[in-house]
Amino acid sequence: MLFFQRSLPGWRALGGMCGALCLLAGPACASGVVSLNLCTDQLLVLLAPERIAALSPLARDPSLSVVAAQAAAMPWVRADTEAVLRLRPDLVLAGDYGAQAVVAALRGRGITVVQVTEPRDFAGVASEIDAVAQALGQPARGEALVATMQARLAAIPPARRGNAVFWEARGFSAGPGSFGDAVLRAAGYRNAGTGGEMGVEALAAHPPDILITNAAPAYPSLATDMLWHPALRHLRRTSVAPALMACAGPWSAGAVEALAR
Amino acid sequence: MKLAVVAIVVLAGLSLLLGAAGFGLPDADILWQLRVPRTALALLVGAGLGISGAVLQGVLRNPLADPGFLGIGGCAALGAVIAFYWGFTAAFPLALPLSGFLGATLGCVALLLVFSRAQSGPGLILAGVGVSALAAAALSLLLSAAPNPFALYEITFWLMGGLQDRTLMHLGLAAVPIILGCAVLLRLGPGLDALSLGEEAAASLGAPVARTLQLAVLGVALSVGTGAAVAGGIGFVGLVVPHLLRPWVGQRPGALLWPSVLGGAALLLAADMCARAAPLLLPLAAEPRLGVLTALLGAPFLVVAARRVAP
Repeated sequence: MLFFQRSLPGWRALGGMCGALCLLAGPACASGVVSLNLCTDQLLVLLAPERIAALSPLARDPSLSVVAAQAAAMPWVRADTEAVLRLRPDLVLAGDYGAQAVVAALRGRGITVVQVTEPRDFAGVASEIDAVAQALGQPARGEALVATMQARLAAIPPARRGNAVFWEARGFSAGPGSFGDAVLRAAGYRNAGTGGEMGVEALAAHPPDILITNAAPAYPSLATDMLWHPALRHLRRTSVAPALMACAGPWSAGAVEALAR
Repeated sequence: MKLAVVAIVVLAGLSLLLGAAGFGLPDADILWQLRVPRTALALLVGAGLGISGAVLQGVLRNPLADPGFLGIGGCAALGAVIAFYWGFTAAFPLALPLSGFLGATLGCVALLLVFSRAQSGPGLILAGVGVSALAAAALSLLLSAAPNPFALYEITFWLMGGLQDRTLMHLGLAAVPIILGCAVLLRLGPGLDALSLGEEAAASLGAPVARTLQLAVLGVALSVGTGAAVAGGIGFVGLVVPHLLRPWVGQRPGALLWPSVLGGAALLLAADMCARAAPLLLPLAAEPRLGVLTALLGAPFLVVAARRVAP
């Protein structure tokens, strides 16, 4: 505590100096990249960890983020306009939903915001990586990341494994055209999900060959409690680490590998 | 009375035939793990809400009293949600009904503190609105600090109330406290009849006024608190049931108790069956929430009842 109090004026002076320098040097004095979204957090850590000014707080949650260990040592910021502006980012990464007011406010102040759309298949993941890597000025790292993902997917032996339902919180299933559908197809399953809510009774009455859920979260969740209803105890089921599916990304190749095993 | 029991038995039989798998007798697993707990919970929760409404209307001498919008249900939800999201329920399943009971007790006590000063009338209902708002605000505040980052989003659906996908364990946890609560409330008949003359008159007749109030709090907290802990926020049953029954059984609060148990059970089961039947009959992607259906039924009822009560 004492140390903190003593060091505080020093930090403040440092911050002030940096701010003054930035004002003098203009946009060339960029302090870094802020990500407001779990999905862009993970791409940022993989593509340009040295430029991170802050990640979203979810990046450090090991049940949602594949880079939680690295992110634990990195600064984080809430999606709050003032908090982000204080960091003087030269680039902000965001998703296309949530924090839209913050994105608009940041753009209004001349800050470049790159928004990414959640991909619906692995080709979409590749172009997302490409777009973020370009924005970060790291196209080569982006290409390497895409190549690794494609090699992992290509290494999965083709097989027909029957029909499957990817069953998520509140009974929503991955429907045709969703990323969950792409993961199932890549692993050799036929997707029997409707894309809407599928209730416990409907699944018990018409069970798929295999029921796929995210692994139970580390915290209590009313929305996922139903996925373990005793009426489904006879179904063949498997689970995927939720961090692999929380965001569609190159790490999702790990979900395909787990399902094809 | 006999007719009501027969009606409930028939409804319960039909309820076991009705579900997402279609109308008809399902396989044993679906029957025992899904339809039996759901049917039994609808009867129990409805019975608890029905008699709690009748007792509250009697004790408070206010025909608009309902455990839902007096804030007792909201306080019970607060208790149950804290127990669930902070992991107490996972560690110790009885924490679910217990926390619902404690929350409901808190709500009842807050209400009675106001009641003793302001007497009954619109002031009491407004106090209930205050208690509800406070419980809802505390719930949001606590959930935003819960370990689950999605807790605030998830809770919206739970608060709308429903009996979808409940298990035999929920039934086991809820049955004893709700039956106990109803049993306590069913014995309050003579006390409620005396109280209908006003507290002072009741006391001068030798009625145990304080004891009646205490037992009413205990019984309402047990049946409503546990009901909310397993079924979420289901409103208006406690308001509607005594009103529907008064033309048949008269104005004496003590005569309303048993009929309200049966009427509440039948009404909530019928509403839950409508929820289950809706996706089979209408082009709906999912079941409508039970609490939404009871509100659709009950809210117009409240407006009519409020007009009748207004001076």
